[in-house]
Amino acid sequence: MDLPAPDLHVQGLDVRLEKEHVLRGVTFAVEARATLAVIGVSGSGKTTLLRAIAGLIPIERGHILLGGRRVDELAPNRRNIVYLNQEPLLFPHLDLFENMAFGLRLRSVREDEIRERIDVLIGSLELHGLSGRYAHALSGGQRQRVAFGRALAVEPAMMLLDEPFSNLDPETRAGMQELFKRVSRERGISAIFVTHDLKESLRVGDRFAVLRDGGLRSFADRAEFCRDPSSGVAREASYWRMLTGSEGNESSGVGTQHVAGMAQAFANCDDDHGDK
Amino acid sequence: MMRRALSAALLGLGLLCLGVLALLSVTRRWPWPVLVPTELHADQWRELFASESGVGGVVLRSIGMASSVAILATAAGFVSSRGVARHPRREGLFLVLHLPFAVSPVVLGVSLSYFFLRLNLAGHIVGVVLAQFILAYAYAVILLSGFWNPQVQALSGLAVTLGADRTQVWLRVLLPVARPLLMLCLLQTFLISWFDYALTLFIGGGRVSTLTTALYQYFGSGDVRLAATCALLLLAPPLAAIALHQRLLSATVAARLEA
Repeated sequence: MDLPAPDLHVQGLDVRLEKEHVLRGVTFAVEARATLAVIGVSGSGKTTLLRAIAGLIPIERGHILLGGRRVDELAPNRRNIVYLNQEPLLFPHLDLFENMAFGLRLRSVREDEIRERIDVLIGSLELHGLSGRYAHALSGGQRQRVAFGRALAVEPAMMLLDEPFSNLDPETRAGMQELFKRVSRERGISAIFVTHDLKESLRVGDRFAVLRDGGLRSFADRAEFCRDPSSGVAREASYWRMLTGSEGNESSGVGTQHVAGMAQAFANCDDDHGDK
Repeated sequence: MMRRALSAALLGLGLLCLGVLALLSVTRRWPWPVLVPTELHADQWRELFASESGVGGVVLRSIGMASSVAILATAAGFVSSRGVARHPRREGLFLVLHLPFAVSPVVLGVSLSYFFLRLNLAGHIVGVVLAQFILAYAYAVILLSGFWNPQVQALSGLAVTLGADRTQVWLRVLLPVARPLLMLCLLQTFLISWFDYALTLFIGGGRVSTLTTALYQYFGSGDVRLAATCALLLLAPPLAAIALHQRLLSATVAARLEA
């Protein structure tokens, strides 16, 4: 995988929330036009990591550099980093078109240019004929596509996706993963994609990080991971398996189907790699 | 079925009250036990707006005072409700905000009048507006604090990462999203001032006359027909505001459903 020089650098990031040390010395880099999949169980600090990079929560220590420039000292609206929530949040007072045009209107982009750019996005995200609809008249998948399109419209330097497809049904979810892969490849998007689903991380990620107890436990690119399943992410996955039980454990909140899905994800590693 | 019957009964009762007031306002003779007036005229309306009685001015003053209270309380309440909703001791703050409603308006009026006398605000419109503002502000904060939920916080964060500065977040997200609630708050705080009697009496000291105090005066003087005419005037703005609010609300819902 021949990727350009690192674009986002996170160095020694410490975050405390209400006296709790949520992130401890997190250090990693994301290369330009690559997707870093961050995997971790609930409470491991995934969302906190994204919110800290976006500037939505203060950091206690550490630096965040984007394209060589320190952004942790900038206000969140000046970082050009867009954060996508787990819930597909749309502005309820705006229709689909205006939701997608929101960031462009903030930047006082010309009306004809807004129309042109949003029309292209609507086509690319398969949202034809829905531009006048409000959030309540859209399905979960459509809402997530609008939220994704709204983020793409402002051409961010980095997209932070916080389990964006976790509330969708499996079919829509798979479709959205494909769509994300296609659009991110077409538009050369740099992204951090947080998920607790290993299978999803393998589908969307170019590189992988595993967060546990606020620390970055391992970090591997896809090729390294597939070549050596005993290292990095794979070791973390084994830990997950141990945690959930190889046959699946409903009481732990992770069912048989989920564990089977993870096993399948490992089995298909080579295929996924080839696909990328 | 039961609910529909109850709604119809309540609507009928309301219309009956309004009908009686309307008839009284144009009645010259209504001898007992006749069911309807035997003679009608518009003298009450003419008398109410005659220059010497000055109710026209009172109506304008009441509208001005109620509008000022509504706008000030809603604006201040919206801004400060955010701080209250996120305050670690919000339970205690809510308790304080409920205090003006826990005590009798007369007690509140008497307590406030002491301070307002010392501040030279008693007997002035400004003093009455300020006193009503205290009540309306507390109400506005209680009503609007529910708006600051995690979803709104997430929408603000989202707008910021899309490039919005603080002003743009307020103008392009918070105010439009809160619009229906703000309209409701404006209406309710308007009514708090519009129907207020005790604070106007104690702080105004009889020198500030509003439509509500005028109604009490007419009623006290035993002129039921003039009091009924005044009551109709008193009910007109709130009814118009409620109708407008309902219309706006249904138009918004219809437009969104159509889309």
